[in-house]
Amino acid sequence: MSDAREAILARIRATRTAAPAARPSCEAPLPVVGDDLVAAFSERARKLSSDVFGPVAAAQAGAQIAGYLRDRQLPAQAVCWPTLAALDWSSAGIASEARVARATDLVGITGCFCAIAETGTLMLLSGPDTPASVSLLPETHVALLPVTRIVARMEDAWALLRKEHGELPRAVHFISGPSRTADIEQTVTLGAHGPYRVLIVLTNG
Amino acid sequence: MRVGLFVTCLVDLLRPRVGFDALRLLEATGAEVVVPETQTCCGQPGYNSGDLAAARTLAQKLLGEFRGCDYIVVPSGSCAAMLRVHYPRLFVGCPESAAFEQLAAQTYELTDFLVSVAHLQTMPGNFAGSVTYHDSCSGLRELHIKTQPRALLARMPGITLREMREPETCCGFGGTFAVKFGDISARLSDNKCTQAADSGAQAIVGGDLGCLLNIEGRLRRRGDHRTRVLHIAEILAGDAEDGSCK
Amino acid sequence: MQVNTLHFKRTAVANLANPQLQRALQRLQERFVGTRAAVMTEIPDFEALRSVAAAIRQHTLERLDHYLEQFEREVTASGGHVHWAEDAAAAQRLVVAIARRHGVRTVVKSKSMVTEECAINEALEAAGLEVTETDLGEYILQLAHEPPSHIVAPVVHKNKEEVADLFARHHQRPRQQGIAELCREAREVLRPKFLAADMGISGANFLIAESGSALIVTNEGNGRLATTLPRVHLAITGIEKVVPSLDEVSILLRLLPRSATGQSITNYVSVMTGPRRAGDLDGPEHFHVILVDNGRSRLLGSELEPMLRCIRCGACMNHCPVYQNIGGHAYGWVYPGPMGSVLTPIFVGLAEARDLPNASTLCGACAEVCPVKIPLPDLLRDLRVRQVARHLRPWPERVALRLWTWCATHPRLYAFLAAVGARVLKRLGGTRGLIHRLPFAHGWTAGRDFPAPAGRTFRELYRARKAK
Repeated sequence: MSDAREAILARIRATRTAAPAARPSCEAPLPVVGDDLVAAFSERARKLSSDVFGPVAAAQAGAQIAGYLRDRQLPAQAVCWPTLAALDWSSAGIASEARVARATDLVGITGCFCAIAETGTLMLLSGPDTPASVSLLPETHVALLPVTRIVARMEDAWALLRKEHGELPRAVHFISGPSRTADIEQTVTLGAHGPYRVLIVLTNG
Repeated sequence: MRVGLFVTCLVDLLRPRVGFDALRLLEATGAEVVVPETQTCCGQPGYNSGDLAAARTLAQKLLGEFRGCDYIVVPSGSCAAMLRVHYPRLFVGCPESAAFEQLAAQTYELTDFLVSVAHLQTMPGNFAGSVTYHDSCSGLRELHIKTQPRALLARMPGITLREMREPETCCGFGGTFAVKFGDISARLSDNKCTQAADSGAQAIVGGDLGCLLNIEGRLRRRGDHRTRVLHIAEILAGDAEDGSCK
Repeated sequence: MQVNTLHFKRTAVANLANPQLQRALQRLQERFVGTRAAVMTEIPDFEALRSVAAAIRQHTLERLDHYLEQFEREVTASGGHVHWAEDAAAAQRLVVAIARRHGVRTVVKSKSMVTEECAINEALEAAGLEVTETDLGEYILQLAHEPPSHIVAPVVHKNKEEVADLFARHHQRPRQQGIAELCREAREVLRPKFLAADMGISGANFLIAESGSALIVTNEGNGRLATTLPRVHLAITGIEKVVPSLDEVSILLRLLPRSATGQSITNYVSVMTGPRRAGDLDGPEHFHVILVDNGRSRLLGSELEPMLRCIRCGACMNHCPVYQNIGGHAYGWVYPGPMGSVLTPIFVGLAEARDLPNASTLCGACAEVCPVKIPLPDLLRDLRVRQVARHLRPWPERVALRLWTWCATHPRLYAFLAAVGARVLKRLGGTRGLIHRLPFAHGWTAGRDFPAPAGRTFRELYRARKAK
């Protein structure tokens, strides 16, 4: 196997004659985001078919979610991230279990590391208390997003990750709405293999 | 200024009046116009077929023929691009490189010359009616010919421009492609004819004779013997009453 | 994947006459061309962004060994394994070996063109493993035993009735009518496969050198499922996919979805770094990356090197007038359209893929939209130059060209022959001035008339005028 490695690298090196130029700048014209990150995020997330509630007080989030599930005749039962276990779900009428998601779970409640206003995108990091399956397996994904965690661009999200964690977790998932496909007749259909719907509850504090 | 006219092999063989109309337009600018006698082909057929040696041979011939001109003007986007964009590439690192860079800098497609260099305001032609303009690919993408023909058409009082939905889509000519991949080429020209018909224009106009022959050929096979297919030079300088301008 | 490039013309002609395909291609154009144009307006200066992206890709190629080595170090440091495959056969051997090492019996796949290129599915099945494609389009193709016809929308050539028929035949369920119902059915059929699979195989849109990460962009969620649930994740992609860091990737991610599907961002962007960490409750236990060469390194230092910048967005084929009319299957292999017309001759051979570099008018629509500024028409011409040098052009063509050049360098002879030709053509045009059948040019006159000339050349008329 290492013979292949040596052969490939040797072929590459043989063609690199000139001294390589310096790394080019990543300065580039970028889409306008504006100063009101909450408004920008909400608008773009809605455009991508996420449902966006709030901003509401963190204590109100449960009631918002319960209302959302009720309106869609979905059961008030969810799997949630261990990081959210301490929230008072039962007062809101939601039976929530903090664990990895199973195939039978219909609703998954997560937080997120941060969100990107430019594209209306949630950024989730995998970890012991933030299992990746909770935002993936259930048909309904609910994400709690404190408004202070909305940044303008993906570059800002990476910078925040570097500052707060130093290194990348096993998986970083950027989520921009319900899963979708347009493979059949180029017709966009929401709800492919991932969740059918995404509810983002913006919270203050 | 001394302007050399390169009529192109297609114009010479298949539609000389385009050459004469180009000549008329250039004379209208007040320039001294010369038409080097031994000119033949710019070398594009060989170049696009992968025969670089053939292309270089014809490039060197042309370079000699047009020496002494301040400008070289060509009533074809693809031939002008051959001189302006591709000749220098053919001679990178060669002793003639500087000469070809200079030739390239002096070469202009006809409408570009009339608008950007000569600033011709009054057109000698008298065509009146509605036209739709086909943007030939080389002129458009290699020489950025887009606004120039439209600016010139706007300077003719009797002309109404009716843009087709996709003026920039290839008509399917592509030189030898039109023969080698005739079925695909015919389909592309058919699409262009449909677009032109939908525009309702009385005439289809363009800057490259190859494209125009391709479009006209398909148009007539479709049974349309009314829509005229004309080179921009014929519109700008031709005599619409001239029976040969069919 | 099997190579069918020798049937280019025949398949192209058949496809031109296929009304169902033509409708599908029309839909593709409406969706991908229109939405791309709309979403590009979100970028204040698209040309400048293209230049930055092209520079990033070019820089990476110039230091490819450095970034590949960095990538390998980082993957290894995070507990993953990097393997190098010189060609398709080596890639197949590696995949089977990795599967055996981990006692894998069932595999789920997220879409990967490199796995088509290297025929990985066939190799796994020959080794007795069950492989299921999970991208909806690829799954449909797997059921139909057909190759993809587009690198981003693989099943663009099928309509919903054909999909409904396929599902009815294979799923033992009542036939569904609507697109939403068909998608739901695919979800229900494939979900158990994800849950039971031992190994997930994905491609990688980008490999990030600074962190040793594999990045995939998807919309369906199958990529996330395939790389989260099974205990082994294997990412396989070309050596040219590496980028220096997360900042470069952020730039490229603005162009890839916009160029490909007209989206500002794909629904999911997943960045995976190594196997599960201590304390993680889910994620694969083993993470492998296979770096595939298969002819890519030979392009470095050649005039074809810019092709390696490609980020597989598909914009070129979406805008190609030839592709728009003949579809992807005519190109006969994994990669269709303009990028396929460059890559296929390189990967399968210039003689095998003889027609592909020539089946283009060099209109340049592809180069105009390529997010990394690959000069595709120039590369197609370069391949034609190689064909001439290797005597792969038919001899009548070479002789005709030589004759033309020779005459064109002998002006007096040329003038005479042109004068004769003009008169002959005028004659052939008859009273209507239209030629219905041209000798040596049946390709033209089969579908078009040829407008006959006036009968005198410009040269003779000009000379006559000057004499007056």
